[in-house]
This record gives sequence, C-alpha cells and structure tokens, in this order.
Amino acid sequence: MENFFNILIKAIFTGNMIFSFFLGMCSYLAVSKTIKTSMGLGVAVTFMLVITAPLNWLLNTYLLKAGALSWLGENYKDVDLSYLSFMIFIATIAAMTQLVEMMVEKFAPALYNALGIFLPLIAVNCAILGVSLFMQEREYTFSELLAFALGSGIGWWLAIVSMAAIREKIRYSNIPKPLQGLGIAFIITGLMGIAFMSFMGIKI
Amino acid sequence: MHSNKYIFLYSSAMVILVAVALTVVAVQLKPAQKNNIRIEKMQNILAAANINSTTKDAEILFKKFITEDVVVNSKGEIINGEQAFPVNLELETKKPPEKRLLPVFICTKENGEKNYIVPLRGKGLWGPIWGYVAFKKDFNTIAGAMFDHKSETPGLGAEINTSAFRQQFKEKQIFDALGKYMPVRTVKGGAKKNDLHGVDAITGGTLTSNGLSNMLQDGLSVYVEYFNKQKK
Amino acid sequence: MSTTKKDKEPVFSLKNMRLLTSPFNLNNPITVLVLGICSALAVTVQMKPAIIMALSVTIVTAFSSLIISVLRNTIPPSIRIIVQLIVVASLVIIVDQVLKAYVYDVSKKLSIFVGLIITNCIIMGRLEAFAMQNKPIPSFIDGIGNGIGYGMILVVVAFFRELLGSGKLLGMSVIPHSFYEMGYRDNGMMILPPMALITIGVIIWVQRSRNKSLIEK
Repeated sequence: MENFFNILIKAIFTGNMIFSFFLGMCSYLAVSKTIKTSMGLGVAVTFMLVITAPLNWLLNTYLLKAGALSWLGENYKDVDLSYLSFMIFIATIAAMTQLVEMMVEKFAPALYNALGIFLPLIAVNCAILGVSLFMQEREYTFSELLAFALGSGIGWWLAIVSMAAIREKIRYSNIPKPLQGLGIAFIITGLMGIAFMSFMGIKI
Repeated sequence: MHSNKYIFLYSSAMVILVAVALTVVAVQLKPAQKNNIRIEKMQNILAAANINSTTKDAEILFKKFITEDVVVNSKGEIINGEQAFPVNLELETKKPPEKRLLPVFICTKENGEKNYIVPLRGKGLWGPIWGYVAFKKDFNTIAGAMFDHKSETPGLGAEINTSAFRQQFKEKQIFDALGKYMPVRTVKGGAKKNDLHGVDAITGGTLTSNGLSNMLQDGLSVYVEYFNKQKK
Repeated sequence: MSTTKKDKEPVFSLKNMRLLTSPFNLNNPITVLVLGICSALAVTVQMKPAIIMALSVTIVTAFSSLIISVLRNTIPPSIRIIVQLIVVASLVIIVDQVLKAYVYDVSKKLSIFVGLIITNCIIMGRLEAFAMQNKPIPSFIDGIGNGIGYGMILVVVAFFRELLGSGKLLGMSVIPHSFYEMGYRDNGMMILPPMALITIGVIIWVQRSRNKSLIEK
C-alpha cells in the first residue's frame, strides 16, 4: 500500500507526464485555452489511462513478454513477442477509445456531450501510449501500474487545468508580440516544470 | 462505397502482410540484438574490474581476463555444473535468497592480481538499476564498481553510471574491523573523508542513491557466507 | 544530400522543392503548426540521440506517406485511421528493431521514445492532410521535408542543451579547459527537462521576430 501511494505521488508530481516527459503536449497546447474544455480533456485522459493501461499490462504479461506464453505449455516457453508490443498497445488504445465512445454515447448522453469531442483526440495522445510503454520498461506489477496510470492521468489533468488558468489570465498581459501565443505557452510550461521539480526527493 | 466484404478482406490481408513482414525483420535481427546485450554485459563486467573495452574488443578482453567463473548459493557452497555468464539476475532476485544462483566472475589481471566480480540488481527511483562490484583478494576491499540504470532522471539519478560516482567506491570495504558485514552505502550531503563504508550520494538524486544503497545491502549480503569461506 | 539528388532526378521540380523546404521555416511542424512535440523533446539532452531520433522520424514520415499514398485509392474510408496506424506502427517497429541491432547504445538512451513516434502527430497529420490526396512522389518528398523540419528543431535544442549543460558536442568536450579554471561551470539546469521547453519558446521567439507574418493575433 505504501508503495502504491509512493508511485501515485511520484507520477503526479515529480514524474509529471507533461513537465518531465513532454507526453501529450499536442493536445495540451491546443486545448489549454479555457479551463472548461481542459477540465473535460483532463477527465477523459485520466479515464482512458485507467482503462487501457491495465489492459495492456495483461496483454504484456500473458502474451508479449519473453516467456509470457509459458501458460500455453513448455513448447512456448521461449517465445518472445515483445517486438509486437507497439502495435498491440496502440491497437488496444485505438479500439478502446472507439468502444468507450460508443458506450458513453449510448448509455450516458450527458457525459457524451461533455467528453465526446475529446475522445477521438485521445487515441493519438502520447501520454496514453507512453504510460503503457513505461509500464513495460519499468517492469511494474499490477497494483503499481494502477497507481502509475491513475497518477499520470491526474498529473496530466492538473497540468492542463493549471496551464489553462494561467493562459486565461495572461491574455491581459503585455507580452512581446513575437512571443505571444505559442512562444509564451512553451516558456510558461517550462517554468511550471521547474516548479514541479521541487517535489523531487519527496518521500512518503 | 466499399462493401463490408471488401473491408474485411482488406483488413485481413493487411494484418497478415504486416505480421509476416515484422516477423521476418524480428527474426533476422534477433541474433545481432542478442549479441549486443551479451557484449554489453561483458563490457560491464570488465568495467567493474577497471578494464576499459570497446564493443569490438570486449569479447577478446573478456576471454583474456575473466579466467574463471563459479556459481555459489547463499551458504557459500559452489554449485557444480552451472555457468555464471548466462544466469539471469532479473529472475534470480525474485527468488528467496536461499534458492538463488549467485554468479562470481574471477578476473586475473596482467600482474597476477585477482578480482572477484559479483553482479547486483535493484530498484532506483523509476525502474531497475544494476551493477557489478569487483573485490580484491581479501574479499573485503572494493577494487572497482560499475552501475547502470534504465530510466533514472537525466542529470540527477542517471549520474550513477558516471565514472566520477563509480570511482568513489574504490578502496571502500564491506566488513568492519571485527569482520561484521557492513556494506557501502550512499551518504546524503557527502560521506566523511575516512569513512570506509560510505560514498557521497548524488545531489538531487536521493531516491536513486537510496535505491543503490539497498541494492548493495541486499545484493552483497547473500555473498557474505561465500566471502567468509574464501577468506579462511 | 538533397542537392546531389536534385541534379539527377527530374522529380525535384520547383513545386516539389517547395514541398521539401517549406517545413523548414514557414510551415515548420513544431514551431508553427504545433505538431509532434510530445514524443521527442526528452531525447534532446545530447546531440547524438537527437540526430538518430530525427532520422528515425524522417524515415517513418517519408515511408508511411509513400505507402499510404500508394494505397490511397484502395483504403476503405471507414477503417482509414486504423490502416494508417498499422502502417506507421509497423514502420516504427522496424526502425526500433534496426536501432537495437546496430546502434545499441543510442537505442538504450531513446528507450520508449522510439515507440512514441507512433503517436507523433506530425506523421498522422501529414498522412491525413497530404498523402491521402496526393501522388506517391510528392507525398514522399512532403514526408521527408516535414521529418527534416522537425528534426532541425530537435537538433538545435539538443545543441544548446548539450553545449551549455555538459560543455560537450556529440560527446566531445568543446569548452576549453582554461574556461573551467577561470570559474566557468556547466549549467546543470540545462539537462533538466523544463529547459527544453524554454529553449523551444526562445526559438519560436527568434523565428517570429524575423518573420512577422507568423505572429499570432
């Protein structure tokens, strides 16, 4: 349990998907213009992360990893399908987004109206694929992975909402012309990243 | 518009084509990839004994210097019929200590000096870290060490693989004056000058440094019996 | 490289040349179109991984554009995105396997970021916007152009981060020893991730100061 919270906090603050790994930057910069839409996207990303990451963990552990197929019998002990993992992971993510979109549309129209337009954006959000790939590289166990997926989602959400809040205010500032818009967005993200680095070394 | 049958056939053909192409590539390149991993392991082992190698001469140097290897258990008994090099530490560290296979590589230098190199594996801040530590023939003093990591923070935790950090381990000891096991650990804020069991932790990389201390503590403790037997 | 090719092949007409060079500045995927920042900034601590990353992205963009463009009239529209993803993912897997086999030390540094080329918005963006409507050769050139335009930014960022952060270029020390004796220190801050973002911010600033038409309203 202690480890669970440790990974959760690390994923939210010190290893924030945006500030330390730059994952999901495209939608982060494109959608962070108002707080309302960024809230929607943040929730959608967290939601998809919690769904796809465990699924990919199962696929990785029982299908892709070297020796993962040993449950089929002795003959399959040495099969290593890890070279297919990119393909399988992205397919799972694309399929899940499609599925979730359809389900949400059918069963929760209100939620669909709020999140619907963001779901297609998610299939190509690097943060989602990134979590699955990090999971494979860092050899997480299942519970560690849940913490990591949840933390990454919340961290991403936190980042995009705070960015949107800053951008709403910054509209009234006098910024040098060539720096307006994208330029200042990058610099603010960098400064926020430096602030988040001060969580480094936090221990629970 | 395309019919469903067309779409179905199209996607099936695509999947089969892609699967075949990827499998061919993967099978073709597998030997080269495996060889890279093998060479890297050799280079790491040599680096622990302070022998620099390149990817080209690693194999020759490894044959020349690593003259012997043994596999022991946590009671310090030599297990016959096991080779040290293929032992997969990732699997071994998951077993309980008394069941582990513990490889020892013995390096004979040109001047006849012998180094005993043991592999370690542990957890850093983010992912796995690993290393090799070479001991002098008193089985106490460290002759050299080599660490590496998979995904520590660049500039902070990732510094464990720099030579500045590794050099600190030279001449440190893992037993105190009474022969009690006391492994080297990282000290936050810098170790005292004559501390035989401490090295400076990495500034800003405290959690990686702690992970490294734990790796040394756990990884070397299983060798204590073997070392004690060898000393006598 | 492009100049030697230009003499031999007639495909490099004026129009095609513009396809190749416009992403370098006016249509730069990173600084103007805001595409594909995600996957690759983390590899800009040093020049070597950045160059390899730039090459890999260029290869994947160019060939996926080519393949999709060849197939463009046969792809059923309803599974278009999936087909594109499969093509891109297979190319990325091939690149990853080749890197692991031939430049192992760099592939370790790139770690998961090779895999993240798949979700690099530039590639999907170019496939949707260009390769689906155009003939194979212009698509291929468009892919190369965008890959290079993207790689340029990576390499420039990596240049400054490696130079200021560790005083090296491509792993070789370039700051004279006497500088250090006079009290110069490498700026460790440059190695940390946030500085990559700030560096890009500054690049955008410089580019837009020189090119007023790009300034946002």
